Amino acid sequence: MDVNRFKLIAPPDLPNYRALAGDIADASWPEFMMHDPIANEHWHELFDRFNEYQFALFDTENKRMAAMANSLPFYWDQPLEKLPETGWDWVFLRAIEDHQNGVTPNIQSAVQINIHPDYQGHGLSARMVQAMGAIGKSKGFRHLVAPVRPNQKSKYPLTNIDDYIRWTNAEGLPFDAWLRVHVRVGANIIKPCHEAMFIRGSRAEWENWTSLKFLQSGEYVVAGALNPIRMNMEKDEGIYIEPNVWMVHEL
Amino acid sequence: MKYQRFQVITSSTHPEYRNLVRGLTRIVWPEFMRHEAVANENWHELLDRFAEYQFALYDSENNRVAGMGNSFPLRWDGALDDLPDTGWDWAFTEAVKNHKQRIAVNTHCAIQIVIHPEYRGQGLSSPMIEAVRAVTKAQGLQKLIIPLRPSEKSKYPLISLDDYIKWQTDDGQAFDPWLRAHVRAGAKIIKVCHTSKIIRGSRAEWEEWTKLKFPQSGRYIIPGALNSITMNIEMDDGLYIEPNVWIVHES
Repeated sequence: MDVNRFKLIAPPDLPNYRALAGDIADASWPEFMMHDPIANEHWHELFDRFNEYQFALFDTENKRMAAMANSLPFYWDQPLEKLPETGWDWVFLRAIEDHQNGVTPNIQSAVQINIHPDYQGHGLSARMVQAMGAIGKSKGFRHLVAPVRPNQKSKYPLTNIDDYIRWTNAEGLPFDAWLRVHVRVGANIIKPCHEAMFIRGSRAEWENWTSLKFLQSGEYVVAGALNPIRMNMEKDEGIYIEPNVWMVHEL
Repeated sequence: MKYQRFQVITSSTHPEYRNLVRGLTRIVWPEFMRHEAVANENWHELLDRFAEYQFALYDSENNRVAGMGNSFPLRWDGALDDLPDTGWDWAFTEAVKNHKQRIAVNTHCAIQIVIHPEYRGQGLSSPMIEAVRAVTKAQGLQKLIIPLRPSEKSKYPLISLDDYIKWQTDDGQAFDPWLRAHVRAGAKIIKVCHTSKIIRGSRAEWEEWTKLKFPQSGRYIIPGALNSITMNIEMDDGLYIEPNVWIVHES
């Protein structure tokens, strides 16, 4: 694919930017991933508070959005190894809190890099990662951190994430495609964050989100989930705790 | 059979029977299921020893096979509750042994009833089950036993089969569609046979069969498998033990 075909754009560049970006999310995420309460409650804050940290890749040939990304700034003065286990959910809330309190940020975190399924496998993800780092660099930050979702982990739901991130391919690069994209452009793995996202729903909701039935309490493998979910019939509650991987890019 | 378009054919009614059914199991089963040792060693015995028990459902409009039934007779004098935990493997071995020893048989056992994916959802499972039951009667046998593979258990690999066979739909029928089809046709569930089929392969073989990678020892979820498999890297040995359900159709 011709690289010049794709142009980086910012939210003000398109009147329906948020709707188009939302379409990419709808096309790429399994339904249950659209029910993280922190994401749903605070998504608008990305555009209200951190608009200059959001961008997309526009396919000028077909006049459509091919990929989109979200990030935000926050303040962190401790070693990166101490970034919390609650990864994604934590950093989203932390950034908003810092902004509300007028704390000057010193670091950037990725929230999402999403390539439309029609454009996957064309090397656009590396370009998106680099474009994201360029934003942090322009703000004078030294690091871009990311609670990365290792997509292919969903095919290995019984393997521990701590083990999974050590899997390598024949070239010695990470086995997982998303981890590999980041490492190829220079990132390092810090550590897993085991409770990066917390998705909770009633039995009926989970039946709606997946093509499964939940007829007894226990663990279930759900398509697209990185770990099994746990269903509790007595409490009418299914819980999915998503592990991610903290990674860091030096800017 | 009331469906004129579909006819039950055998190797004696149709000389080209072998060609017509060739390739059907490849389409129907996940690749790893084609590496079952007892099946591979004995499959030829079906037509060599028990040809009158093998039939196909022939689509006369399109000159191809829509389904196939494979079964054989064996001798069982024990109580149905005592049928072996080694289900499918036991039945196949026993039938061949009985035949070699010219032991008088009294029980019909079906080991495979499949419907071509393009013919599913067209109400053919009931005529297929009736056709197998008709063989029991035609051969003068007392009952039909089946180590049945519940068709949707593969979506619930972390649920024990003993629990799964108790699952019911809202109207009180068996949850599993294939189990339900048999119960509707008059079958009774006897019990689970936990080690019905055993599939063993090296790591490289399992990687080829499943398109997954197995970088470490442990349990893995395999598309199409009813339970997880266990990979032992040191022994270069991956083991899948398939549980089935003993059911009986008494005439």
